Amino acid sequence: MALKQPTGQKRLTNVAVVRLKKGGKRFEIACYPNKVVSWRNKVETDLDEVLQSYSVFNNVSKGEAAKADDLKRIFGTDNQKEICLQILAKGELQVSEKERHTQLESMFRDIATIVTDKCVNPETNRPYTVTLIERAMKDLHFSVKPNRNAKQQALEVIKQLTEKEIIKIQRAQMRLKLTIPAKEDKKLRAKIRKIATKVELDNFEEELVMVVLIDPGCFAEIEELVRSETKGKGHIEVLSLKDVEEGDELLE
Amino acid sequence: MRATSIQKISELQRKPKCIRNICILAHVDHGKTTLADALIASNGIISQKMAGKLRYLDSREDEQIRGITMKASAISLFYEKESKEYLVNLIDSPGHVDFSSEVSTAVRLCDGAVVVVDVVEGVCPQTHAVLRQAWLENIKPVLVLNKIDRLILELKMEPLEAFIHLQQTLEQVNLVTSELFTTEVMEKKYQQTDGDQEGTEQTYDWTEDADEFEERNIYFCPTQGNVVFASAYDGWGFTIHHFAELFAKKLGVNSAVLEKTLWGDFYLNSKMKRIQKGAQSKAKKPLFVQVVLENIWAVYDAVMVRKDKEMIEKIIKSLDLKISSRDSRHNDSRVQLQAIISQWLPVSSAVLSVVVEKLPSPLNMSEEKVEKLMCSQSRRFDSFPVETQKLKKVFMECDSSEEAPVILFVSKMFPVEKKALPQNRQRPLTGQDLSLRREQARLRHAARLAQKNSPDTELVVHQDTGQLADIKDDSGGSAAERPTMKADSVQEEDDRDQVFIAFARVFSGTVRKGQKLYVLGPRHDPLKALEQIAAGKKVDLDGTLADLSKDQHVMTFTTCDLYLFMGRELEELDCVPAGNVLGLGGLEDYILKSGTVSSTVACTAFTDLYIEALPIVRVAIEPKHAGEMDRLVMGLRLLNQADPCVQVLVQETGEHVIITAGEIHLQRCLEDLRERYAKIEINVSEPIVPFRETIVPSPKLDMVNEAIQDQNQPIRSQRLKEFEEDDEVLDEGLVQIYTPNKKVMVQIKAVPLPPEVTDILDNRQSLRKTMYQYSKQYDHSGHVQKLKLNQETAEAVQEFRDKLDKAFCGAGKEWKGLVDNIWAFGPRRVGPNILINGMENLNHPSIWSCIQEGNNQQNPLQEFDQSVVSGFQLATLTGPLCDEPMRGVCFIVKKLELVQGKSGRSHSKKSLVSHMSSCLEGDSSRDVSHTLTSLNSEVNIQSGEINANDTHSYVTCYEDGHVTDGDDSESSAGDGADRESMMVPKQHKKQETYSALAGQLISCVKDGCRKAFQTCHQRLMVAMYKCNIQATTEVLGKLYAVIGKRNGQILSEDLREGSQMFNIKAFLPVVESFGLAETIRKKTSGLASPQLVFSHWELMDMDPFWVPTTEEEIMHYGEKADSENRARHYMNSIRKRKGMKVDEKIVEHAEKQRTLTKNK
Repeated sequence: MALKQPTGQKRLTNVAVVRLKKGGKRFEIACYPNKVVSWRNKVETDLDEVLQSYSVFNNVSKGEAAKADDLKRIFGTDNQKEICLQILAKGELQVSEKERHTQLESMFRDIATIVTDKCVNPETNRPYTVTLIERAMKDLHFSVKPNRNAKQQALEVIKQLTEKEIIKIQRAQMRLKLTIPAKEDKKLRAKIRKIATKVELDNFEEELVMVVLIDPGCFAEIEELVRSETKGKGHIEVLSLKDVEEGDELLE
Repeated sequence: MRATSIQKISELQRKPKCIRNICILAHVDHGKTTLADALIASNGIISQKMAGKLRYLDSREDEQIRGITMKASAISLFYEKESKEYLVNLIDSPGHVDFSSEVSTAVRLCDGAVVVVDVVEGVCPQTHAVLRQAWLENIKPVLVLNKIDRLILELKMEPLEAFIHLQQTLEQVNLVTSELFTTEVMEKKYQQTDGDQEGTEQTYDWTEDADEFEERNIYFCPTQGNVVFASAYDGWGFTIHHFAELFAKKLGVNSAVLEKTLWGDFYLNSKMKRIQKGAQSKAKKPLFVQVVLENIWAVYDAVMVRKDKEMIEKIIKSLDLKISSRDSRHNDSRVQLQAIISQWLPVSSAVLSVVVEKLPSPLNMSEEKVEKLMCSQSRRFDSFPVETQKLKKVFMECDSSEEAPVILFVSKMFPVEKKALPQNRQRPLTGQDLSLRREQARLRHAARLAQKNSPDTELVVHQDTGQLADIKDDSGGSAAERPTMKADSVQEEDDRDQVFIAFARVFSGTVRKGQKLYVLGPRHDPLKALEQIAAGKKVDLDGTLADLSKDQHVMTFTTCDLYLFMGRELEELDCVPAGNVLGLGGLEDYILKSGTVSSTVACTAFTDLYIEALPIVRVAIEPKHAGEMDRLVMGLRLLNQADPCVQVLVQETGEHVIITAGEIHLQRCLEDLRERYAKIEINVSEPIVPFRETIVPSPKLDMVNEAIQDQNQPIRSQRLKEFEEDDEVLDEGLVQIYTPNKKVMVQIKAVPLPPEVTDILDNRQSLRKTMYQYSKQYDHSGHVQKLKLNQETAEAVQEFRDKLDKAFCGAGKEWKGLVDNIWAFGPRRVGPNILINGMENLNHPSIWSCIQEGNNQQNPLQEFDQSVVSGFQLATLTGPLCDEPMRGVCFIVKKLELVQGKSGRSHSKKSLVSHMSSCLEGDSSRDVSHTLTSLNSEVNIQSGEINANDTHSYVTCYEDGHVTDGDDSESSAGDGADRESMMVPKQHKKQETYSALAGQLISCVKDGCRKAFQTCHQRLMVAMYKCNIQATTEVLGKLYAVIGKRNGQILSEDLREGSQMFNIKAFLPVVESFGLAETIRKKTSGLASPQLVFSHWELMDMDPFWVPTTEEEIMHYGEKADSENRARHYMNSIRKRKGMKVDEKIVEHAEKQRTLTKNK
């Protein structure tokens, strides 16, 4: 290893490295921590606040600068700034602590908001607040996975919450109106009743008209059922996506 | 030991003449509870020494810690004067503004009030309030000028100064009373003039009023005997009368004369031994100073200041007092002083004698008060049925005989721990108990012996133990499961350690245990109830509050436990005659906060309590552990019942919000919830504040009020710059968007609704709901039996339509006639946004069909209709700014086309049924569209045929019956031919795709709407409170500062007539209102308190995405301008709360190089 004198060195500390492999070579640029994501989100517009230096490296920590002819060959330009911009936009980055933290936190909130949106307290048929769901998620020791989308994880949370009974929670029910021709009413009625959580109206005149509350997860099932059994003659109308109490209520 | 026994008290209770129901009222820290202590000490319940320090009636822990009273509590005292025995039911009340509701409950039950005023502080805001309250409830006050010792010891006043000071204080108090009086008189006059408007002009005889004034004796005056001078802490107090008697002999003056002249500008001419007027002008000592104050000053001087042993002894001797040696040798001179002076002039007897003499007994209730109690102002007393009017007499007589109807008023429900109930208290064992126990022990022993001897006796043993159990039950412990607890299914067993006791007063009749009484709800009308009974209707009255139907206001209730209040303790009673205050158990299922209980239905429900402070401090609460939600709800219910001035509500967002009268009240409520009612940990937070999103027309001025020169160019480019590369955006507000499978194209334009239209929409929510429900029924393919709207609704709908039409016409040309094209309202199908059908040839059934007869056409686009409307609903429910609902936005569907993707035809676009709206079409399109309409109708017919075949087919055949677009007009005929051939339904193939397509269309329309919205000028709307504040002149400036800081706008300020108060009206954003009440009170030292009511939505005229562009703007706001933009601030905070992306840098400035230490 070559002996390096301390003088003449500019030591980069506090670095976030962004890497890009291109043309079989590895290129790196030195950025400030917690800034790259902001740049990519177009929140930060000042490049000087993002890049530590405008030079392209092969290895930032060793201080190996990239060779000019490599750059020329692979990027087709020797303008370091432009290459930096390319790497910034496409390279893989090391997510810094604060970035990860905000990301996880906002995802956590997002999941909680989705859960709040989809669920109700079965006793009052009213939604829970986001903070309460967040707390329940903490009780659940739910950890956010940054690479899965929030909605999937929200469904997972709902499942776990109902299983472990941390709070009384239920998916907000969907209200459907089914119209089924007279021929198929018998066999369908029983099946629908099995799926539905509540049958609000069951009217038979010429054709069967039912208003039912179902779990939103069962919608596909019920739709399939109606379509296949009636050969496309049945009709489903979504009366409301979420059956919740509306308006304020004085507690007395 | 207690001076009076329960027997004595219950004996006295039967003589209404000897009862005084009084309450102590004052500003906070003026010495109510101390005075109450002194009175209690006179009964020997607490020691004289502890009086003033113990605060016996402050039984709550936090009351003791904070040193303020938080609830009204009662105690029955015995007083003997001139060999007459009296029972004084004393109610102590809190003085803090936050608890003025408790004052209301106390005042309602009393006939008289003791108003305490601190002579040093004088008349304070709450003194005003309590005097007003007493005035409104028609109860008679007496005045106690308290803390005179502070004049001597703290302010070091000379007797003469003190006299003048006292006079001034008294004047202040009288000023308040006269203000109240004049206001009332003026109000009456107003009402009169309103009543006989046509009558001749009336001239008011002020002298007459003044006469009336005098007559009613509303002023406080020592010579009238309704003023007590006292120092409750030191335990002394006196009236003029007291001193007049003392000194009459000494001065050689008639005591009656002395009494009249002792207060006022009189002096004693010692030479002539006569009392003369004009002490001030002649620079003589007024009589009061000479006779009264100087003596008291002398005592203080001797004991406290000079500590002159001889002098003290002299005083003791001359006053003929007996001071125990322990007191006289006490190191603390204050103790000595108290010992001396409280013996000389005991405050309890001074106050109680005034109370007994000057305040009315229940017998002397004024007619006015009775009427006020029985009927609210809106109703005249004469309008009640005869039976009810008769009750008035009963009231006045305070008849406690058996025949008299029982009437009680419950002014509040308060919680008592179950173990504190007298039934459950441990009692000393009586002889009987002992013998019983001995017997039991003997039996047990015998049983054991028997068991040992032979197993045959087992049976006997069983019997015995059974007996034992019975005996045990009888002997005291059984009361736990007394009827108090019954029928309470809500609470769980372990939570039942709270029992509610009703704080009530008997106005007539005698209440006994086991009596059957009616509980009358607040809306109970004796007239109706009597009619019902007369009609022989059997009314089921056995319900409790929970299962009470809407127009039923009467319940029956069996009295079970009656209690006498003795401060912290309760004593059980068997019966309570009229005129007394009592506690009534077992009412918690019947009465929520206050109510009337009577043995006759003819009785009216008493008027509601007048509550000075309305609840204004809002907070959201939730349990710390998410699973304890139901305990919290239960706790909130109990809290709501126990506190007259708290409101609890569940908001649409699922938040539990409690509204309290003030910060201290809030703290008490939270404490109660934590410690007593819910017994869980709770979190308190600011309630979530709703926002709305909207769009506005292009602004004409920039942020520094410079006109934007080029109307379109800069703004448009700015707004559209972001969407430059987005080929979906056609123009400002106009968006063209495809479903992901490229089957359907929609063009949507977003336009701000004219404000008048939004206003109209705001007011008719419920109407639109009915319309929607109606259309739902009707919409569904004809077979559902048609429900006719009733006449009233139909008219309302018609009126709504006309109004809307008018507003549209007024808004400009482009809006004209759009009323009939309204497709839907949103969000939730009733909101203040409109979806308009902008396709000329699509005949969507009008939303007005419910009022238009015979318009029964089939909707050609039914399948898509659902999807488009749903998409619109979703978009309006969550706007793009921060997922809050939109308001006042109009979306126009310009095009809705089915694109035939893989048909291999040269032109891939196939119009479904629609066309470009006129702007894009050339002149030639006129006739084209004409032909198209005809084609349309054809399609309709044909589809009708198909429908006849299978009405409810999943996919109707419109997709096949496509018609070409305007551009392809030449080929339309050919298309028509084509269509014929294509009429073979391809249902099966399409069925699979349909549901997917519907879903895609929904999200497509939603995204389209949002995008269209985003291309316009977006604005946030904030909810505004209307804020009513009453304040005096001195604090106006500070008040304005507070409101200004919170971005409020003052609307008006008016001087209220006959008083010094200003009424200020202001608008204040709801987001800024948290903590407002507290700040205002702090800044204005409690002289102003706001009341907030939701008023309207107000546009925040500030673009949340605004950045300075012009030179002036950059100069004015700097480059980022993030400090100024409130709209952005609000938006970001909401987005953060919801976990949405926020355009904020994680760190503002990157961390630059740092020098590393060696070892790192």
